[in-house]
Amino acid sequence: MMSSLMLQTAAQDEGIEMCSVRVGQTFYGIPVTRILEILGKTAKQPVPLAPIYIGGLVHYRGEVLTAISLRRLLDMPAHDASEDILVFEGADGYFGLLVDEVGEVMTVQPADFEGNPSTLDDRRKALFNGTYKLSNALLVVLDPQRLDPVRLAEAASS
Amino acid sequence: MDELTREFLIESQEGLDRMERCLTELEEHPEGHELLAEIFRTVHTIKGTTGFLGFSRLESLAHAGENLLGLLRDGKLLANAGIISGLLSLLDILREILGQIESSGQEGESDDAAMIQRLHALQQNDAVTPDPSGGGPPQSPPKKRRARKPKAIAPLAEAQMAKPQEGIRAIEVYQSEPLVAQPRAMVNAAESTLRVDVGLLNRMMNLVGELVLTRNQILQTVSAAAGLAVLSRRLDMVTADLREAVMKARMQPVSHVFSKFPRMVRDLAQQLSKRVRLVMEGQETELDKSLLEAIKDPLTHSVRNAVDHGIELPHAREAAGKDAEGILKLRAYQEGSHVVIEVCDDGGGLKVERIRDKAIERKLITRERTAQLSERELMQLIFLPGFSTAEAITNVSGRGVGMDVVRTNVEKIGGRVEIDSRPGKGTTLRLRIPLTLAIVPALIVHSNGQSFAVPQGALSELVHLSPEQVAAQVERIEGAALYRLRGKLLPLVFLDALLKQYEQMEKPSGAYIAVLNAEGRRYGLVVDGLADPEEIVVKPLSSVLKRIGLFSGATVLGNGEMALILDPGAIAAQSNIGMALEDDAPQAQEANTAEVSTEYLLMQSAGEPAAVPLDSVLRIERIPRSKMERLNGMTVLRFADTLLPLNDKTGATAASPETEMTIVVCHDGERHVGVAVEQVLDVAPGDSLTEAGTHAATEDAVLLKDKVTSLVNLRKIPALPGARQLGEVRETWEADRVMGASA
Repeated sequence: MMSSLMLQTAAQDEGIEMCSVRVGQTFYGIPVTRILEILGKTAKQPVPLAPIYIGGLVHYRGEVLTAISLRRLLDMPAHDASEDILVFEGADGYFGLLVDEVGEVMTVQPADFEGNPSTLDDRRKALFNGTYKLSNALLVVLDPQRLDPVRLAEAASS
Repeated sequence: MDELTREFLIESQEGLDRMERCLTELEEHPEGHELLAEIFRTVHTIKGTTGFLGFSRLESLAHAGENLLGLLRDGKLLANAGIISGLLSLLDILREILGQIESSGQEGESDDAAMIQRLHALQQNDAVTPDPSGGGPPQSPPKKRRARKPKAIAPLAEAQMAKPQEGIRAIEVYQSEPLVAQPRAMVNAAESTLRVDVGLLNRMMNLVGELVLTRNQILQTVSAAAGLAVLSRRLDMVTADLREAVMKARMQPVSHVFSKFPRMVRDLAQQLSKRVRLVMEGQETELDKSLLEAIKDPLTHSVRNAVDHGIELPHAREAAGKDAEGILKLRAYQEGSHVVIEVCDDGGGLKVERIRDKAIERKLITRERTAQLSERELMQLIFLPGFSTAEAITNVSGRGVGMDVVRTNVEKIGGRVEIDSRPGKGTTLRLRIPLTLAIVPALIVHSNGQSFAVPQGALSELVHLSPEQVAAQVERIEGAALYRLRGKLLPLVFLDALLKQYEQMEKPSGAYIAVLNAEGRRYGLVVDGLADPEEIVVKPLSSVLKRIGLFSGATVLGNGEMALILDPGAIAAQSNIGMALEDDAPQAQEANTAEVSTEYLLMQSAGEPAAVPLDSVLRIERIPRSKMERLNGMTVLRFADTLLPLNDKTGATAASPETEMTIVVCHDGERHVGVAVEQVLDVAPGDSLTEAGTHAATEDAVLLKDKVTSLVNLRKIPALPGARQLGEVRETWEADRVMGASA
């Protein structure tokens, strides 16, 4: 118990653990500490008349989760193959995030962080938290709080 | 606050509730010894415990009360209106202090000398010649006290003290239970019950919900593998029983809410100088605790309204040729999966013209629109927010909040409100509350390949249309689709179009119309297909999806698929379905009598056609044959803890116990009976046949679709062996055994 705690703090000193997810050609990073659970290719139920960014309903431990589709949020065409789901805790209970694929967990260094480029469109600026420069690619940081359906609904109505 | 004080508070509050009940009853039966003993016990317990806990204010008050009650209990003093009013005031002060202890841990500062003196004075009060009709005036001037609750109860104590001579006997409270036996029953109940944290019960209920879901899934998966069938049936039974037990644990009799009304009505009537007799029925009817909490306010509103607006002043009643004393009836009973609570007064009834004028005046509706509305629809206007017809804003009601709150609160918990009124005769308000919230029976429908759940409560019937019928019988006025259901036009809502799932309106393959009744609106929901009804566990939706407004929740079906639960009322509102113009039932009956021929349900039983009158059919169930059991030579079916006698002619033809049977559940007078058949074929109008030579109509056959069809005679289905008969059998058996032993 004690040793694992120390390991964690040690890891945080050295860098931040990010879970990488892929949507289209882009890799996104989500801090692992924020992720409650990763569900594989779970069946989802579409919700008619729902806002476009709602990917559907997912059964998760006796609860019915509202899943956000990152693809639709980014105005990308719908994905035909089944998608992976990450579960987060939001203001209104749990919610899910649909991504094309969940990748590996990597450690990034705070020194490699940079803010959003000013040329990014407004929609993405509102969703992205900045970028980590990896040796061979860029990792866009997503903040689960900004993906909370409650927040998205507020943003849409205002 | 320490555990001991908390315990004391809960106990005392319960005790005071009981005391209040007993006091109002005591007014009716001044010599009710049991009642007095109960009240004495409460006050005595409070006195004893407070002394121990160091609440001196409570102790001295309770002590003064105890002295007075002691005299009453020993018969040295007879309870009169003055004494009862005094004791009720004491009760109010005790409640106030308990409330303060609960919020601050302190008794609070106040001078109780006046109250104690008043109680002392009452002890000397006409002890020799008790006068039950008048009631002695309190000897000490009543002290001005502060209102305890923001409710209308507050001003009453003062009103009473000011004029104790008049109107005190105005209310008599009747209860259907034997009055004297009640306190004793309550004592026993207290001993045999256990306080359980509601949070824990909620968690248990959630778990049971999960179990139900898993069971549904297993039942569907297992139907292929035969070996598991027995096990899964057992799981089915255990789940159902467990669910019932947990639900029972959450059930409370409606008397918990009703019990505060005698006092409330008494106070209100005095305040308004009216004479009201409260009659309560069916107090033992049980309802889920959370639902009971939820209807407390709507019900209070309704009762208050009935006394304030419904029942007229005594002289007005006499002028109208009615008894000066108005009757307010509270009635609770179970009807299927609902509990119905009626608030019924014999007052002036709703004045439709005044409602209309008021609604126009308050700009809730335009004059042109009201001209199109029927009387029944105009009555519904009182449910609009901001509606109130009270001439003056009184303490009691008339603040413009009222019936709309009642309706919203009741519909929030899946219930319904109906109002029925006759000018000069009175008004009946009916609240229909579901037994439980968590698990509801629902019909699963398909639209565009997706499943949706429709709560059974709103469903009145299902109509299947073949492709040709869709083309021929669905008529349109300017795009609005209509269907002629037994000669009446039924507006149709196409689910796929509503959910924008499809561009084209019609489907090549037939359709089903689910005829729904919601919030006084009647319409047909057109869906692509139907699945079996299922007990669904309601899961809340996130706020984003709630905002769509058409779904009331989501659920997981037996096949693991998720389904959205449709909200029939919201769909009606969004599709601009108007209020049903008239009650459908009487018209349907008229149509039937006009036509002579009755409609029959056509079935196939043991390979032959058979029929039962459609109006006797309650529901149709499908069960595996193995669920049918034998009892004393007759076939029965068990539903939870009720037994259904069955008419079963299929015995010879049905081979395996796994065969799915269709049971048509009918009512024969009061009792329910079942008819086991292979399948249900159709509904058709039939003509009675007369035996050749005689003019007597046969009871056993009917002409359906030009074919002679045998009628199942429901009356001939044997009754279940009664409890007494069973007892007799047992006695003789035992007698035999005794004789055998002695021989």
